[in-house]
Amino acid sequence: MSSIDLARRAFLRRAALTGVAGAAAPWALNLSLVGEAAAATNPNDYKALVCVFLYGGNDHGNTLIPADSTNYAKYAGIRSNLAVSQAELAATTLTPATALPGGMQLALHPSLAPLKTLWDQGRLAAQLNVGPLLQPTTLAQYNARSVPLPPKLFSHNDQQSIWQSDLPEGALSGWGGRIGDLMLSGNGGSVFSCISITGNSVFLSGQQAVQYQMGSNGAVAINGISRSLFGSGTAQSALRSLITAPSSHLFEAAYSKVTKRSIDAEAQVTAALAGLPVLAAPFDANSALSNQLKMVARMIAARASFGVSRQVFMVSLGGFDLHDNLSENHPGLLAQVANGLVSFQAAMQELGVANQVTAFTASDFGRTLSINGDGSDHGWGGHHFVLGGAVKGGRFFGTAPAVAVSGTDDVGQGRLLPSTSVDQLAGTLASWLGVSATDLPLVVPHIGEFSTRDLGYFA
Amino acid sequence: MDSTLLSDAPPSAPEALTLKPSPWLGAVALLSACGGGSEAEPPAALLNTAQAQDRRQILGGPITGEGGFSGGGAAAASSPPTPTATQLMDWAERVYGGFFPPHQADLSWEGYTYRYYASTQNYLGVKGGRVYILGPVSGGALGDVGALSDFGARVFASSAPYSDFDAARFLTQATLGYTEADIATLRATGYAGWLTTEMAKVPSASNWSWLIGKGYDQGDRNLATGVDSQIWQRLMTAPDGLRQRMALALSEILVVGFDGVTGPWKQFQLAAWWDLLATNAFGNFRTLLEGVTLNAAMGRYLNTAGNQKENAATGRLPDENYAREVLQLFSIGLYELNLDGTPKLNAQGQPIETYTQDMVTQLARVFTGWNLDLPRGDTTPEFARRPMVLTESLHSTLPASFLGATVPAGTPGRTALTQALDVIAAHPNVGPFLAKQLIQRFVTSNPSPAYVARVATVFNNNGSGVRGDLGATLRAVLLDDEARDPAKLSDPGWGKQREPMLRAIQWARSFKASSTSTNWDLGNTSDPSRSLGQSPLRSPSVFNYFRPGYVPAGTAVATAGLVAPEFQLTNETSVAGYLNALQTFVGNGHRDVKPNYVSELALASDANALLDRLNLLLCAGQLTSGTRSTILNAVNSIAASTDTGKANRVYTAVMLTMASLDYLIQK
Repeated sequence: MSSIDLARRAFLRRAALTGVAGAAAPWALNLSLVGEAAAATNPNDYKALVCVFLYGGNDHGNTLIPADSTNYAKYAGIRSNLAVSQAELAATTLTPATALPGGMQLALHPSLAPLKTLWDQGRLAAQLNVGPLLQPTTLAQYNARSVPLPPKLFSHNDQQSIWQSDLPEGALSGWGGRIGDLMLSGNGGSVFSCISITGNSVFLSGQQAVQYQMGSNGAVAINGISRSLFGSGTAQSALRSLITAPSSHLFEAAYSKVTKRSIDAEAQVTAALAGLPVLAAPFDANSALSNQLKMVARMIAARASFGVSRQVFMVSLGGFDLHDNLSENHPGLLAQVANGLVSFQAAMQELGVANQVTAFTASDFGRTLSINGDGSDHGWGGHHFVLGGAVKGGRFFGTAPAVAVSGTDDVGQGRLLPSTSVDQLAGTLASWLGVSATDLPLVVPHIGEFSTRDLGYFA
Repeated sequence: MDSTLLSDAPPSAPEALTLKPSPWLGAVALLSACGGGSEAEPPAALLNTAQAQDRRQILGGPITGEGGFSGGGAAAASSPPTPTATQLMDWAERVYGGFFPPHQADLSWEGYTYRYYASTQNYLGVKGGRVYILGPVSGGALGDVGALSDFGARVFASSAPYSDFDAARFLTQATLGYTEADIATLRATGYAGWLTTEMAKVPSASNWSWLIGKGYDQGDRNLATGVDSQIWQRLMTAPDGLRQRMALALSEILVVGFDGVTGPWKQFQLAAWWDLLATNAFGNFRTLLEGVTLNAAMGRYLNTAGNQKENAATGRLPDENYAREVLQLFSIGLYELNLDGTPKLNAQGQPIETYTQDMVTQLARVFTGWNLDLPRGDTTPEFARRPMVLTESLHSTLPASFLGATVPAGTPGRTALTQALDVIAAHPNVGPFLAKQLIQRFVTSNPSPAYVARVATVFNNNGSGVRGDLGATLRAVLLDDEARDPAKLSDPGWGKQREPMLRAIQWARSFKASSTSTNWDLGNTSDPSRSLGQSPLRSPSVFNYFRPGYVPAGTAVATAGLVAPEFQLTNETSVAGYLNALQTFVGNGHRDVKPNYVSELALASDANALLDRLNLLLCAGQLTSGTRSTILNAVNSIAASTDTGKANRVYTAVMLTMASLDYLIQK
């Protein structure tokens, strides 16, 4: 069934429930009115997704590296001076539940070694060659441009937006926010349904659900409204009224809305965090990613005080656009990813929610397999990790691409043609979180184009 | 009515698609009912001026509003002249071209001077000193849109400021901050004269020379000491405000950020980068493009420095970073554009890509063989201000085909570069691509397509046959009817958010800030939780602090289909961090940069006078009466009887003004 048909079915069902007539696009509907309410009053029925976005386009070629002799030789031939040595891969060669075809073995980059334990424990899975697709696309179809392709391929800002929302830059909602829309009523409309510990992005914006943004040090209180300002209580209340004033000017109204949300949320967040026991799980305070993940962990620890049963979080790490200095800079970034994820999983264990929280990595795109001397260039499909107690870890999902340039699986220079779509990855995660099959097209509009809607990450 | 007129194509002017619906744009009134339509004999309905209905809203309504929007200010407002009928109609064609597509000649009839627009079936005319409209836009009945004299402030808005507020509004758009003296100068010279003087000024001392003067070249080359100081001091003190404001705008389109610059002497690399933009601010785009391409900091930032040709044996290919971003961000963008900045559509109604991945791969070959001009053993920063140099043997020998052109195989590197930059700079997208973004940086986030087209037209030809004249383009941005139109002050979608660092820079200039150490040691103000959330030359990526097309989801801006680039920085953390930082630096300055409130303290006992001053210097008269009275009460709640009290009254007034929505959104 086409994605449009699925979406129409979902729309009609929802329209019947809310009495909405008309032919508005499905995602213009107030999804929050019709979300499948999870058992909001049961604190044990809690689930969360955590998106770990790697900004810049992570070099997948040096993230999961061919370790068997045949494929390693191909890899080394293409990657030349940027190839990780075969000896270094011994300790991180992965043994999956089902072997890869053709005797291929993949190893984690040595800097990702901390993830091997999680792999062996069955908590970490790897999704191979995933990227934006509008429908299943063969190499011949790509070369002929005979099927619709995602717009603005290879452009950072647009591919970031497409990963997060299915639409290029300018999109008004992301799939994380659309999940939030469906979970909103079960969360009592909580502003803490979609939380970003990093900057503004479209991922967590929904139609009703709005991204609540906070820093890794918590919510920021506005001093000038908390106590007398320049010695004057009148000035203190004047400040408050000015910064939250209504306005008929659209930009002023938008700014005021953000300020109001900041003020309304801050006291609650600060109090909730202050009441928590200190986490025992160690996080690297020198890593921006670890600091963000630690705050996610703390907010999950505080979930009861927010009255939420379903949440979507976002954290990020930048610096992955390694056109140059790949060998120098990639290891450190991967180490941050590995350490951050390990710390985070430990915290989830500590909080007793390891089976209820799933983290996953995402990025603008993968990169070329061929190199430019000291780095790689923009690609398309890439490899990503899915982590959590509910995950069927120790497995590869998707299809391992041929280790080649201008081969059967790439569109030139080793830029991978994805064999799994972001919609399928997002759909699988959304379903696990509780989005019904009927509602799924509202979250991931192109899911109907793919015969496999659930990739099977979860038991 | 001649049936062929009824079958005319709809107006091509894009305003027809973007103007807000008027309550009188109801069902089309067929002019056959009016019994006229030919140039020889206008409809008799035009003569019923006594029964004409009030239709002022068609042309934006009367220009009055609260809080000084009527064009007041401290000094006496002067009166703009009354336009002639010709001037009024020429202006209406520019600003309301959807109703009155340019250009029709004046016609005379029964005391009217009028024009008829066949494609929209509208009449526009003047009789007895009043302006009338008849046609579909007036609902088929004769509409009176006001006296000719009502329109002087708008028709002549782009020739001169008629009040201090007009002048301040222009200076808000055109500079980094202004004083009463700047306002007086602008009122004396008018806009065009002011621009001429500004562009002719000798540029202020370079960031490079400032660093040398302070001895920063004597320190450890691997430390970037002074990297923030060199740009803060220029932005906060340089007297050539227009040039520095243009450099800032260029720096947000052609981006180099500290985080991505590698190698020694980063402070000098970034100083030389800024100096390049400032030097070329009013020059030619093609010249600037070449300077940018060969600049050392840009070479490190986007990897042209050290980029080598293909190596068939190893499979190594040229780095594509610069080739992609120079097209996507610095010149033509992703999609083909009309002159007015709207995307061209193919036969299937889809936008048309300007370049393919393969073109990027091929263009990358052109940018090979170049590297920093850094002789072995040279430990000075000099390389940072020298263009990169070519090693021919490292330059690609393959052909490069892109944008419909080919640089033949074996072309020497220097020639190849010239050819490639010529092709890029000549692409028809460049004019609208840059025009729209320059308007967004200076004036408003959502210019009308007609405004973009007017500016792009000047980019394409400055009037003397020169393409790419940045000075002329900037002049077109600032002098456009739309930029100067006082009616825009009451348009709820008009204007832009003042980005955080511009607020701080304006504060420093308005309040005569000084640096006690003379080092302007404000440092990195990027932290949104406790500082501005933005710092000059520290964009987080080549995509600038915010995208031109950013839409703040879940807001009225998004619902209205508008963009608000600066809102990419606006979130729950940054709005609070800014207010906390503001509270600190209003009173104490930041580090060793201290304000001098001598002029404000002189008014501290008279809250009204104090607010008048701040309204003029900070808000260009845009404080609404509600905001003003809230601030007034707050100031008056603090006794003025002591020095501390006076100081607190000033701090309160400044802080509340700079926290207000009226200030944060510049109109």
